[in-house]
Amino acid sequence: MTGSRDAGAPAVELAGIAIAFTLSDRSTYRAVQGIDLQVAAGEFVAIVGPTGCGKSTLLNASAGLLQPSAGTVRIFGTPLAGLNRRAGYLFQQDALMPWKTALDNVAVALEPAGIGRGEARARALEWLGRVGLKGFADRYPHMLSGGQRKRVALAQILIRDPEILLMDEPFGPLDAQTRQIMGNLLLDLWAADRKAVLFVTHDLEEAIALADRVIVMSAGPAAGLIGDHPVPLARPRDIAEIRLDPEFHAIHRTIWGSLRAEVQRAYAQGEAAP
Amino acid sequence: MNRAVLLALQLLVALAFLLLWHVLTTVPIGGRKLLDPFFFSTPLDVLARTWKDLAGGELWRHLGITLLETVLAFATGATGGILLGFAFARRALLAAVFDPYVKAANALPRVVLAPIFALWFGLGIWSKVALGFTLVFFIVFFNVYQGVREVSPTVLANARMLGMNERQLMRHVYWPAALTWMFSSLHTSVGFALVGAVVGEYLGSAGGLGYKIQQAESVFDVTGVFSGMLVLTVFVILLDAVVTAIEKRLLVWRPAPATATS
Ligand SMILES: Nc1ncnc2c1ncn2[C@@H]1O[C@H](COP(=O)(O)OP(=O)(O)O)[C@@H](O)[C@H]1O
Ligand SMILES: [Mg+2]
Repeated sequence: MTGSRDAGAPAVELAGIAIAFTLSDRSTYRAVQGIDLQVAAGEFVAIVGPTGCGKSTLLNASAGLLQPSAGTVRIFGTPLAGLNRRAGYLFQQDALMPWKTALDNVAVALEPAGIGRGEARARALEWLGRVGLKGFADRYPHMLSGGQRKRVALAQILIRDPEILLMDEPFGPLDAQTRQIMGNLLLDLWAADRKAVLFVTHDLEEAIALADRVIVMSAGPAAGLIGDHPVPLARPRDIAEIRLDPEFHAIHRTIWGSLRAEVQRAYAQGEAAP
Repeated sequence: MNRAVLLALQLLVALAFLLLWHVLTTVPIGGRKLLDPFFFSTPLDVLARTWKDLAGGELWRHLGITLLETVLAFATGATGGILLGFAFARRALLAAVFDPYVKAANALPRVVLAPIFALWFGLGIWSKVALGFTLVFFIVFFNVYQGVREVSPTVLANARMLGMNERQLMRHVYWPAALTWMFSSLHTSVGFALVGAVVGEYLGSAGGLGYKIQQAESVFDVTGVFSGMLVLTVFVILLDAVVTAIEKRLLVWRPAPATATS
């Protein structure tokens, strides 16, 4: 999976990205505009912003699922054409194949790489163990809880060993305890093998607890990046404990200062919309 | 409700119906039978006739013919429906061009085709298979078309991000999605395959359950007609049970529909 790595080139680089959607009445909706963002290899970057500001849209552009209307996406220095083959994408919605068991969902991710079924299943079982689901290999997605499904999806992506992880509010629908467990699991897996991570969330505390850098997005339309805050908290971190750290609070206060106005603006727009 | 109690009640309804039928056709009330056995037969006569037919080999031959026609009609109709459903779902131009013709063909009442099929394919099994085919094909076709087009965009995007090529997408995403829809209509399409077979036999043939019923009708043998209907009904119930078993096996991954248990 490791391609030619341009020494020093960022894993993901968004340069002057603008994305517009054509609506059904043929008008254009400019979702995001003037986005410049770099994620270094091995860096964990979180993007926070009010709902509907364009976070998923940016991830889709980084994945190559969406063509920006202006600007360039570069992956390790190479302009992206087509799908981003070096990234794994954890979607916001359920993305597992409902007709495959947990094990088959993970094993099938190795098929495009030409790995035989026997070996793929053995490795998939190992990965299910790593995300704490060894005993659930034969379950179909509908027989798993929301948190368990996310873990299967995580194993499905990590088994391919991508150099970049794109994660779209992966723990959004989960309850507080499960979010913590999943956050710690993600940090453990990431510490073992540092990939570049672009992690989208609307939860600022989650962003600070996980990331090296927190990017704040403004409310749409034509949303942009309005803040770039380093998180110099020591690693390894524990999601639950780090929230008690005074430094955490200081960082939270700073970022919340810029985020709050945007959340209120997005909320007011949502109320005003028909 | 307890299963045993429910079953007992269901049997009770059947018994009550048979008893009523028996009394009205055999016991004179006020000097005459309320239902003339010539027109309504009697339950015992029907059972006796069915038993006699089952003991002889003739009925089994008719059953075999009908079963063969049903299976062939289903197999050909399903295959055609799957292939064309896939083609239409994946080729927008094809779908757009042929859309009005498909709709027109489906709107045609299929019974009017039976004589033409008899003309083209003769009075043997193939004219019945053709009739069943025209019924099964459209059900499967529309379901597969729908199934392929309505694959969850997230599941599809995820599979593509996992690096799957067109062939792998077909195998792991489109095909299972289409099969789900097809199986959700399995009962209907197997039922229609049988309808095609029996109606075809009824309208012109030398064998099969439809033929047997038609023969009995032509000589006003009401007992024979009812006996044929009884055999046909049991046949349908058994066929449906087989379909349910197949469906259960193939769709294990689907959440069980919420059933009210009390
Ligand atoms: N396919 C689309 N067509 C039109 N508008 C879209 C489309 N996808 C997203 N949008 C709009 O773009 C904005 C950003 O969406 P999204 O990236 O999903 O937001 P979020 O930050 O919640 O992930 C929203 O206002 C949304 O309504
Ligand atoms: Mg989103």
